[in-house]
Amino acid sequence: MSQQSESLFKSALKTTLPVFLGYIPLGMAFGFLLEGAGYHWIYAPLMSIFIYAGAGQFIAVALLAAGAGLTEFAITTLLINLRHSFYGLSLLDKFSGVGKVKPYLIFALTDETYALLTTTKAPEEDSKGRFYFYIAVLDHSYWILGSVLGAVLGSVLDLRLEGMTFVLATLFVVLTIEQYHASRSRFPFMAAMGAGVISLMLFSPDNMLLFSIFIGTLILMAHERFVQDDLEIRSIADQDPDQEDIS
Amino acid sequence: MMEDPVHLLVITAVVAMATFATRALPFVFFNTRAPPEILSTIEKNLPPMILLLLVIYCLKDVQWLQVPYGIPEIFTIAAVMGLHLWKRNAMLSIFAGTGLYMLLVQLDVFSVLFG
Repeated sequence: MSQQSESLFKSALKTTLPVFLGYIPLGMAFGFLLEGAGYHWIYAPLMSIFIYAGAGQFIAVALLAAGAGLTEFAITTLLINLRHSFYGLSLLDKFSGVGKVKPYLIFALTDETYALLTTTKAPEEDSKGRFYFYIAVLDHSYWILGSVLGAVLGSVLDLRLEGMTFVLATLFVVLTIEQYHASRSRFPFMAAMGAGVISLMLFSPDNMLLFSIFIGTLILMAHERFVQDDLEIRSIADQDPDQEDIS
Repeated sequence: MMEDPVHLLVITAVVAMATFATRALPFVFFNTRAPPEILSTIEKNLPPMILLLLVIYCLKDVQWLQVPYGIPEIFTIAAVMGLHLWKRNAMLSIFAGTGLYMLLVQLDVFSVLFG
């Protein structure tokens, strides 16, 4: 058991390596910011353990500095992280049958962990829950470690890390291509291009992800409604169930 | 800035609960009732769409109208795409791409070219 568990852990370590390289500098930036705002370093890991949301924590520091009220904190956080509700929607199936780690997997559902969990296959189906748990807990620990490093030695360290957080962008590119190979339909990618470019132009950097996911989901639903009806009519007409609409 | 531990702990708790709420919402909502038909059909289309949107999200702070016009980002993404479609080696694509991007921005290659 322990040997199988070990190889599962190693596999998760390898899978999360790009996130490690991204979360360390990003977590450091957060820790550095919080410490720079005049708070004891211990709050950096505390927030990273219990909140665990990249953009959410950065905005919390900004709100702290602005002396915002509790309601403002709550509403801003809800809006910034509402996109995570869409992540859960596509994981309802995947997370049924992961066992008692499910609440933690839901808690730890960041952009990066979501991207890995939806694209990476567990080595064996019966160890799915444990594999997902390793990925989630490793990503979480990188984030905590990064924020401690940033808060404790952020001002001392002068590493040539500029551009390193772009590792997360390259990770997303690779995972998108993997999704492209695995997915039969090309439509989600067209919907994303449309929704993404529109949102990039119309919305502020803080809001664009939520709006783009929202717009993209509407496009997917509209497409499903119309093309699905279309398909049904056609499949009745020519009785060819193998014909897939990949437009 | 004056530090008030209780205040900060309360805020951390509020932000943590709000974050968890957004993540747990769909699981709580569809725990007892069956998801609507439309949801199960778009369920498999959401991950590819969201992943591409996350790529685009990484470009949110690019200043397209100023030197170097987002070229380091677009160039790196194109290189990663080419490399990955060719070799299909995730680690190679990710690390080569990140190394390339760090070189491009730290040496400011494209600003030098335009300057």
